[in-house]
This record gives sequence, structure tokens and C-alpha cells, in this order.
Amino acid sequence: MTEATGNDRIWRLLVVDDEAIVGKRLQQVFGKMGFVVESHTSPAVALEAMAAQPFDIVVTDLKMEDIDGIEVLSRAKTINPAAQVIIITGYAHSETENEAFAKGVFAFIAKPFRLDELKQVINRALDELRQQAVVPSAE
Amino acid sequence: MLNRLKELLNLPWLQSAADASTCSPAELIFKRFRRVLQVNNRALTIIADLGEKLSGDYIFDQQYIIRSTETLTETVAESLAALNILTGNKYQELDPVFQKLTSRLQAIIARREDRHGPQLIALDKVTTIDWAIVGGKNAHLAEMAHDPQILVADGFVITTCAYHELIDANNLREDLDRFELMMADPTVAAADLDALRQRLERGVLAAEPPPGLLDGLTATIAEMGGDGDDEPFFLAVRSSAQEEDMDFSFAGQFHTELNVAAVADAVFDAYRKVAASLFGAKAIRYRRQMFPEDGQMSIAAGCQRMIDSRAAGVVYTVEPDAPASDHLVIVGAWGQGEAVVEGSTPTDTFIVAKQAPWEVVEQSVADKANGIYLADSAGLVEKSVPSALRSKPCLEQQQLQELTRQAVHLENYYKRPQDIEWAVAADGTLFILQCRSLLLSEPSGEQRGLPKLLDQYQVLSDDSGRVAQQGIGSGPVVVINSPTDLENFPDGGVLVSRRDSSRFITVMHRAVAIVTEVGTPVSHMATLCRELRVPCLVGVDNILSKLTPGEVITVDAEDRRIYHGRVTELLTYQATNSMNLAVSYEFRLLRRLLQAVSRLYLVDPLMQDFTPAGCKTYHDILRFSHEMAVAQLVDVGRDEKSLRKHHLARHLDLPIPAGIMVIDLDDGIAPDAPVDQVPFTAITSLPFRAILQGMLFPEVWHRKTMPVGMKDLMSSMLNAPSDALSGQYSGHNIAIISKEYVNLCFRFGYHFNIIDAHCSERERDNHIYFRFLGGATDMTKRSRRSRMIAAILDAFEFNVSTRGDLVIARAGNMVQSEMERTLDIMGRLVGFTRQLDVCLDNDAIVDQYVEAFLSGDYGIVNL
Repeated sequence: MTEATGNDRIWRLLVVDDEAIVGKRLQQVFGKMGFVVESHTSPAVALEAMAAQPFDIVVTDLKMEDIDGIEVLSRAKTINPAAQVIIITGYAHSETENEAFAKGVFAFIAKPFRLDELKQVINRALDELRQQAVVPSAE
Repeated sequence: MLNRLKELLNLPWLQSAADASTCSPAELIFKRFRRVLQVNNRALTIIADLGEKLSGDYIFDQQYIIRSTETLTETVAESLAALNILTGNKYQELDPVFQKLTSRLQAIIARREDRHGPQLIALDKVTTIDWAIVGGKNAHLAEMAHDPQILVADGFVITTCAYHELIDANNLREDLDRFELMMADPTVAAADLDALRQRLERGVLAAEPPPGLLDGLTATIAEMGGDGDDEPFFLAVRSSAQEEDMDFSFAGQFHTELNVAAVADAVFDAYRKVAASLFGAKAIRYRRQMFPEDGQMSIAAGCQRMIDSRAAGVVYTVEPDAPASDHLVIVGAWGQGEAVVEGSTPTDTFIVAKQAPWEVVEQSVADKANGIYLADSAGLVEKSVPSALRSKPCLEQQQLQELTRQAVHLENYYKRPQDIEWAVAADGTLFILQCRSLLLSEPSGEQRGLPKLLDQYQVLSDDSGRVAQQGIGSGPVVVINSPTDLENFPDGGVLVSRRDSSRFITVMHRAVAIVTEVGTPVSHMATLCRELRVPCLVGVDNILSKLTPGEVITVDAEDRRIYHGRVTELLTYQATNSMNLAVSYEFRLLRRLLQAVSRLYLVDPLMQDFTPAGCKTYHDILRFSHEMAVAQLVDVGRDEKSLRKHHLARHLDLPIPAGIMVIDLDDGIAPDAPVDQVPFTAITSLPFRAILQGMLFPEVWHRKTMPVGMKDLMSSMLNAPSDALSGQYSGHNIAIISKEYVNLCFRFGYHFNIIDAHCSERERDNHIYFRFLGGATDMTKRSRRSRMIAAILDAFEFNVSTRGDLVIARAGNMVQSEMERTLDIMGRLVGFTRQLDVCLDNDAIVDQYVEAFLSGDYGIVNL
């Protein structure tokens, strides 16, 4: 189980998906695990929330009206370069995947997925975040 | 979409694909048969996938549901086409059945299924299929009406279909469509909505009844016993909106008319007021707040016999300020419950322990000067309470206990805290008026500390097993080792078992959670858990060794953890968590689609309803198509000569005289095997090999000549023609096999035995279907043999049904090794029971043979 509290600080998780059910579910699951979770169905509003206070982890849908997941990824990385972004999508194309990896996406997950899959990916993302916090000057 | 389906059904591409001029006619048929099997398996996989998503262990969205449903529809269409190609268009009658089912799925997705159905349904006739047209509250009432432990007042539902007919008959449709569009747009200001809202409200209030409704009401009321000769009676007419009670409380948002004379005109008048309240200012405000982007909602009404209650009130099955306390709260007053829910008079409060003997922990009895009572003509009236009763508790000790017991039962049934309205009639009978999820507000910030708080509990199992149904449940461990253990299963127990079994259905309403050491999230039991929302973990390693029966544990089937003791923090979390997954729109949509897709009604090909018209779901169509495809192939198998000429049917060379011909569709026989007289060692078909292995097991194939008496002989001669009713008499035994499949038709003497099995690495695809019929002896002996076979199959956890000398058994969703083991047992059973009916002279022998078989003493037959 992911330890979102304990010796760590409390991690902030943002969920962006135009279908409300995704945000609601993830809010429930990761809230129970101790994360501060915000979820938005409008990417524009999610970007505003990011600008107001950065998030450690961003889980975003790929295909949305107006602003897509790649855009959310770019903006999240601009606001907080340490942020780990996970893209969840029902339609993955290798082109978009390549673009996303070039822009620093942490992982791609195909919808529908088991909660455990996402928990594991988020665990790895947290490890990454912790390492960055421990050895910032190593590079 | 429908045009696309018609195209699919014609499927010229499929015909040309199968039209291989190089094939012999028999080979062509095999090819076509394989095609049916492949397509059917694909469709069944989609159905299993969809079912698994209901567990709550997945993140999915509407897009997924819609896409999968489309793919499934296309695949079922392919199956029909493939069957028709195989059989020369024998089953075109399936097309209209398929199209009707498909339109139903489309109506569910488009949320229009609340428009199709009867205007009125008796409450006790409502089934899950009707949920969309009776509304949430009535759905719960109907469930309770079927529950022998709960008493609800009799009555009927005026459905959402009647509502839509009323809208159409009064030319309100255009306004309604416009209104719903505006409701779906959160940017529309409330003021802009108001004029239209009022027009609809007035329109419904003044509406004329849709055709047939008044006559229907008169007839329905007469059925309840109001046809003039009987005492006149009164009804309570309550709203039941589509979403009401399911997700959101809607408490007090809609209109209720109490004590309405049971006369069609008066009921219709009350109904109009209830229906119009869908457009009441209050209800609209609530809807916009709760469903900001959802414009559609229709309303049904529940009309129940009015109870002249002595006392009435409400139960909360958890204490709102201490949700994990294991106490519940009962509030009540003299007279009708309106006094309690409206908060208009002082009330008695009782805090009662939820465990037997349901002791009253605390009570405060108010001075209840007034109560609300039924008025003589109609409606309610406030009266003063007789002075002797004023300061007396409105419920006696025994009634408090009974009410608590029922409330806990309902909480266990719905697996969540409940808000229950109750009434005690003049003669002391306890009625439940309503039952809905109790929503408590989330204690802010507390949730974040949950992982820390959970650290203090001893964890019995962590990160082990799979979620079959999400949820949290706490209670004493009840270990189930055999079906008889289920008989005394207590309300509120946690069922723990080595293996999963669909038999657990009998206690699922009482179990707060289920844990098994072996099992898969796609088993029949898992499906049932999802239907009944029982939190369930399967495949939890070694859990039995860590538990003692009776110890209290808490199962968190969200994070896959099992704790020792009662984890109050998790129970509080559950009670205060505002999102009940099972009632979110996506889950309800998926659940309704699966109802129309995945249930299997056509179980037995020998039953009369095993016809195209008997298909009620896609699964039925697939089952029918499979059975007909097999029948077609067996038909071909009859023409032994031509088959053997082309070496398409090959004799098996076994050390026992089983006389089996094999038709290998695909990789079922090793390529280097002799063309005829194929030895056992050359069989590569996994399920067939396992069955043969069982048949060849030492002593299973007994050689003793059975002493068939004159009576038996006569009986068999008389029975032979009717025994051949399976239509599959072929004079020999045929096995149709491939690497992972077998369909084995046996005819030994005068009985027919069919085993249809799929066995592969993918456990969800694995199944065994077993059918046994007939015999050479009289009906009594044959029935004894059926009973013996049923008892043995039952012991191996098959789903068994018997009728006379017919046995039908099903099993599935097992891992490959277990499938092979079970098929081996099937093989032994086939051999062992071959001629046994002759020996079954009395009932006691049946038990003896069952015992012998189960303990591996196959030689008993030779004694």
C-alpha cells in the first residue's frame, strides 16, 4: 500500500478527466490512502488549480475537448518540473506516446485499468519524487 | 446502428471466407463449426470482461461501456451469421430476437428504457428488469416485499411509462425536451428555467389521464380487495424518481399524498400531484445541485395500502455521531410517522445494541402531547394523544428488539448504513415503509489520517487475493466447509471458505463479506457478489490457517487487507463516504446492460423454452447457437461412412470397449498418429485427454455383466423411442475435439450422456457442461441413478439440477489443472455409472455408491 503520509510530507494528486467518474473514484481511493486529491473534469480549471498550488502527481486523460492530455503534461512540467505526470487513455497511439515521453511523461496506462496498476505506478512515481528530494545536487 | 446490424447479419464476407472450394463438404462444415465456436468464445470473453468491471476494482468510463457494448453486439451478430452459414439458414428466427435485445441495449445506453413497459405493476411482481420503470424507492420496496423477514404494505406502482404517456397525451413533450436540455446546461440561470418549470408543473397538475390508466387503476385496486363488497380502504401515494434513494436521498423533495381513497379518480388526482412535484421549485434546485449536467429524470409513484399506525418513526442503522459504535438509533412517536420526519412533535429516542439480544443502551421518552392520525374521510389530522400514553415509550421492549433485528438485517442486505421508516399497526404488526442509504457527512480531514490509524490494527492478510467485489465488512468468521454449514449462517457473519461456490447465494444477504482461498473474480460466485454487492476477496493465501471461527475480523475489499478485530475507523470511513460506487451512473448503466446481456436463462436444451424465442439475453443466444452448432456437427457424424472415407472421423483404440469415434477440428490429435485406431497417447486435446484418463482409471470401467431383469428389459423397450428424444442418437459415441475443446456424446445402452468442455490456460473461458438422461431400467431405478450422479457432481461443486432421470450440471472458471482434475473425475463417473441403474434396488444403495465413488472405491461394482 502506498504510504502517502508517514515520514513523508502529504503528497498532492491532481486528476483531470472529462468523465467525472474517473476523478470521483480516484479521489476516493487515493484520499483513503492519505493523499490530498483534487479532481477536475475541465482541463482549463485543472490548469488554474495547478497554477494556484502545484501538484506532485498529475493523472490526466489524453483525449479531452479544448485542452488534451499532452497540453496538461507540458503545463504541469512547466509549473513544477518535479511533477510526475501519468496519462490514462482509452486510445493509445505510438506517436502520441513518443511525444509524451519526449515531454517527460512518467507513464501511460490504458483504460480501463485495475486500481492496483495505477497504485503501483504512483508508488514508483513517489520513489522518484523522494529520490529527487534526497539528491538534488547529485546531477 | 440497426442498418449496420442488418449488414452484419447478411455477412457476405463471412460466406466467402468459408467458401473454400478445396474443402470436402465435411471439412467445410468443420471449418464453419470452428468459426461459430471462435466467435462465441470471443463474445463470452467480452461479457466476462464487462462483468469483472463491476467489481469496483477497475477504473472505467462511459466510453468503455459504450464501445464494449458495440463490439459485443457485432460479435453476437457474427455468431448468428456463422450459425446460419453452418446450418444453411436454419435459425433465421434468431434475428428478430437479437434485434429486439439490441434495441433494448440501445435504449439503456440512450437512457430511454424508462419509456417502455406497462403503466402499472403490482409491487410484489416487480423484478430487477423493471427497476428502470418503477424508480429507486419502489425498487427497494419490491426487494423487501420479496424478503420473508420484512413486511411491507401491499400495493402497486404507477410506472415511469405511465408518466411518459401522460406527458405525450397532454402535449407536454416539447416543453419537457426543452426543459431537460436546459437542465443539462449548468450555465443556464435558474431564473431562465423557471417559466418553463412552472408551465410543466401546472401542465402535469391539470393533465388528463393517458389512455388506459383509469381503467387499469380500477382493475388494480379491485385486485387489492376494493371492489365494493369489501371494506373501503385507503392508499399512500409516494414519489419514486429514477435516482431517488439510490444515490441521493431526495428526502422531502417530492410530494407525498397520504390516506387517499382507493378509487381510480382520487388515486389519479394524488398521482398528478406527486408527478408534478418533479417540477417543484425545491426539487429542481436539488437536482441542479446534485446532477449539474444531467437533465433527464422521470418519476414513478408507489401506491400502498395505508397503515393506520399506532406508532411510527425512523431507524438510522448507525449513530450519526458515532458511526462505528455498533448501536443504532430509533426515533418514534404515536400515530403516523409524518410527525417524526417533519419534526413537528417531540419524539422518543432509543439507542439499541445491534447484536442480539438487542439491548436498549439508552432511551429518552418525550411527553408526546399530540400525534398525527388518519382523518376519517381522507388525509391526516393532528389529535391529542390520550393522557395515559403521553409519557409512555411508543415502542415496547419486544418491538424495539424486533425492529432492531429487521434494521440490522436490512443493513446487511444492502451492505451500507440505512435510513428506514417503520410503522406499527393497531394490531402490533411491524411494517417497513421505506429503506434507503443513510448518508452521513464526511468528517473533514479525518480521512487523511486513515493509514496511520489503521497501523494500530493487526493485519491478518495484506496484498493477497483479488477483489471480486469492493467494499468493507466486519463481523465474526463463519467457516464454510460443506453446503450444510450454510444452513445456520448468522446475519452479519463473514463467510470464509477454501473455495468459492455459487451456493453461497443462499446466505449472501446475511453475509457482510466473503473471503476464499481459491477462486477468481469472474466466477459465478463473484458475479453473484457483484449483483448483491457483497464485499468479496478471492484467492487469499492461507487465510483459513490464520483464523478461528467466531473471531471478529474486518475485510477491506478495496485495499485487499484483512484485519483482526473490528476496525471502527474503516467502518466510519465507509459510513461517511459520500460516494457509493454501486449507485454511480456508470455502474448502474453497466449493471443494467449486463442484466440484458449476461444472465443465462436457457440452461437445458431438452426444456421446451430452448428455442430462439426463449432467448432473453445475448448469453442465451450464444448458448443456443453453440448447442445448435454441435447438433449440426453430430448430424454430420452420423454419416460415418463418408467421414471415415476422408479420415475425418477416426476410431479410438482404447483398452476398454468404449467405441468412440473422434472428429478432430484442430490439434486434438497428434499429427503423427495413425489415421485410424488412434491410441490414447496420441490425444492432445486437453479436456478429452483428461476425460479418457478418468475412464481408463483402474477399476472404473467395470466388466461385470449386469443382471438385467425382465421388467427392466420391457421397460427399456417401451422407453427407447422417447429416450431418443435428444435427437442425437448416432449408434456410437462421438467426440468432437480440438486442442482446448471437447464435445462428447455418449450413448451407452439406453442412456445419453453429453460432456461439453473447454479447458485452457484462461480460466475464465473454462467450462464443463454435463448432461445425463435415460437408462435401460424402470423410471425408479433410473431416477436413483440420476440422484446418485447429482450427489457426486454436487460434491465436486457443480451447479446441478435434476428432473426425473435427467441430470444437468455446470461448472467453470477453474484453473487448467483443476479443470483437468475435474474432467478426469467426469471420465470416472461416466465409466462407473454406465450400467449401475440395474443395481440400484433401493435408496440406501444410492448413498452407498456415492460414498464409494467419493472415496475412490470404484471396485464396489464388481463385488
